[in-house]
Amino acid sequence: MTLSQARIFYRLISHHQHLHAHRHPMFEKNMFVKAFSYIFIGFWAVYLMMLGFFVYEMFSQSAIEAFDVVDGYMIFLLAIDFFLRFGMQETPAQDVHSYKLMPIPIRFLLDVFLVRMGLSIYNFFWFFFLLPFGLLAVVKFYGFVGLLSYLLGWWLLFVINSMWYLICRTFVNRNVYFLIVPILIYAALIYMGLFYDSSHAWLFDVGVWIGRLFVERNPLMYVITFALIVPLYAINRKLQYISVYTEISRKDRVHKYKSQHYALLNRLGTIGEYLKIEIRSIIRNSVVRKQFLSGFYCMLAFCIIFAFTGVYDDMPMMKIYICVYCFSCLSIMTLTVVLCAEGNYIDGLMARKESILSLLKAKYYFNCFMMIVPFLITLFPIVKGKLTIAEALGCAFFTSGVVMPFLFQLAAYNDSAINLNARITKSGRSTKTQIIFSSFALFLPMFIMYTMVTLLGEDIAAVCMISIGIIGTILHPLWLRNIYHRFMRRRYTIMDGFRNSR
Amino acid sequence: MNLTIENITKRFGDKEVLNINRYDIHSGEIIGLLGNNGAGKTTLFRILLDLLHADSGTTTIHGILPDGSHVSFDTARSEDWKRYTGAFIDSGFLIDFLTPEEYFSFIAKVNNIDSQTLSQRLKLFEGFMNGEVLGRNVLIRNLSMGNQQKVGIIGAMLNNPQLLILDEPFNFLDPSSQLAMKYLLENYNKETGATIIVSSHNLTHTFDICTRATLLEHGRILKDYQKDYATLTTEIEEYFKWNAF
Repeated sequence: MTLSQARIFYRLISHHQHLHAHRHPMFEKNMFVKAFSYIFIGFWAVYLMMLGFFVYEMFSQSAIEAFDVVDGYMIFLLAIDFFLRFGMQETPAQDVHSYKLMPIPIRFLLDVFLVRMGLSIYNFFWFFFLLPFGLLAVVKFYGFVGLLSYLLGWWLLFVINSMWYLICRTFVNRNVYFLIVPILIYAALIYMGLFYDSSHAWLFDVGVWIGRLFVERNPLMYVITFALIVPLYAINRKLQYISVYTEISRKDRVHKYKSQHYALLNRLGTIGEYLKIEIRSIIRNSVVRKQFLSGFYCMLAFCIIFAFTGVYDDMPMMKIYICVYCFSCLSIMTLTVVLCAEGNYIDGLMARKESILSLLKAKYYFNCFMMIVPFLITLFPIVKGKLTIAEALGCAFFTSGVVMPFLFQLAAYNDSAINLNARITKSGRSTKTQIIFSSFALFLPMFIMYTMVTLLGEDIAAVCMISIGIIGTILHPLWLRNIYHRFMRRRYTIMDGFRNSR
Repeated sequence: MNLTIENITKRFGDKEVLNINRYDIHSGEIIGLLGNNGAGKTTLFRILLDLLHADSGTTTIHGILPDGSHVSFDTARSEDWKRYTGAFIDSGFLIDFLTPEEYFSFIAKVNNIDSQTLSQRLKLFEGFMNGEVLGRNVLIRNLSMGNQQKVGIIGAMLNNPQLLILDEPFNFLDPSSQLAMKYLLENYNKETGATIIVSSHNLTHTFDICTRATLLEHGRILKDYQKDYATLTTEIEEYFKWNAF
């Protein structure tokens, strides 16, 4: 391939990526999301700038220089940066897929995507913090040239982090359990390097050393950093190449399924049939299963932190708030996309009378049933006297009678189907309504808890929660039917959205 | 079941995709809906089944049920007609992570069909399934397109609908299954008196089974033929030939 051809292809692919974002069926619907994310980034930019000034102020009078402190704890910044990338950065193998039959060498395509990833604006995100901090902490010792070399050094570290992330992400895409590898590595580094030997925090010293070499413009340090990027790039190139062909050539293994009859559910009549569909959807569809398991593990994490640690013991409001989360976490994470999986076979459901209503009921009962898990775990703090049974019941009923009705409203608005078994998955795009409802579901309990606990005290607040929750729970046939009627009023828009997105 | 379509129009953006002043389908007819791609066949089906909003007009399903009662439903305003209707348009009708047995059982249960009746009804489709659908313990999505088509069609017929709507039912089917499909539809129509509407690009099969054929072009009814094999084959084949060259 000639240089001019490479330039043309590079421009073309960059243009396609731009079009891909702008011509996505969800683009129009996502204008709000876009605006929301700009506001979100703006908020973080201001926050990080403030943090830069604040950190400088905090360490300006300390025995060691402020930038040494930041450099010494660089592992934390790199770890946060690494895990934030899961929500932002895809693997190139996902993008190369569209070009596999084009007369463009796949290795060249991978180079384009990897270079674009290295030059991505995201690698400059932390400059919101580092620039104001560096202006105050670095310039007075090393001048503006020192600041530039300091920032260049950090940028190279973030590029290394993005390459390392890409390797991990590729494996996580194959199996979500690979996520444990970077978690263990960062945890081990932090523990062994900073806390294991309190007299010698070697990781802190390494960070300070690296930072000093950058700021002093040591050419060897830049060469070493760049030399690290080269093998990581090569590994990624190889890995992504293998990944592209693995994805393309992979054949679905046709599993034999011995039907489980779920005889117990037969007693529930039509609702039981929809419950079976719900359970089978989780078991047999990888995307739905991942969603469910993410929610379930989150719920377990909340429960274990709440039940077996003393983190929230001295904060009555936070205690009940976290307890509500133990019960509602799974629902918040799965019901935000309520009916999106069913969008794949919505025509079949709509061809039958009131099947959506039965489905919503089944989903409600399933989510209520899943609350058994947090309830069993919260028995430990109840036995230990950390939580009263009234508070636990209050949280459970508050979830089934207030949080869930709130989340189920999304059934009348969600109109984007999720791919049930995507081989190559992109980060999901949330709609305006999903963001609003899930944000409310996250913060509404906090507001209500705060008001009730402050005004009425813990015990009366628990009784109020039980009362409100029981009313909401008993009235579930009414509010579910109301949601169903609103779904039916918007059915054409919803079905159209599902068809366009599947 | 009779079906009356009045003043139905549908536009996608600037393009008019359907414009039918009046179209009556009578109980017991087998209608063959013919037309090239973009003629509006699937759009018409989706509007009939209330899966798509018509810009104007109404579709009414009316007739006398086997128990003698007279019913009339505006498909956009009521859901009761769904009890008497069966349809299969595309994979959007299939819950593809179920096995065929689970799917049929689901349809049976939500239609109040007991397992014994279900087994009896499935026996009627044994020839059509040709041993490739049941008892394989694989999910619908792992079946071939032809077998998925069979599952969809059987699913649409399980509740013995008085109105059966099938979009391109011969697609993906092997020659034996296509013949079985023809026999199945003719037999079902004879035994139950149900109204059947099929769209197809396969002129021979459509001519063989339909009692009436309607030719659509750019969303409008170009011609409505009562069954007269000679006229059908000559005129319609002429139409498609003229369009091809």
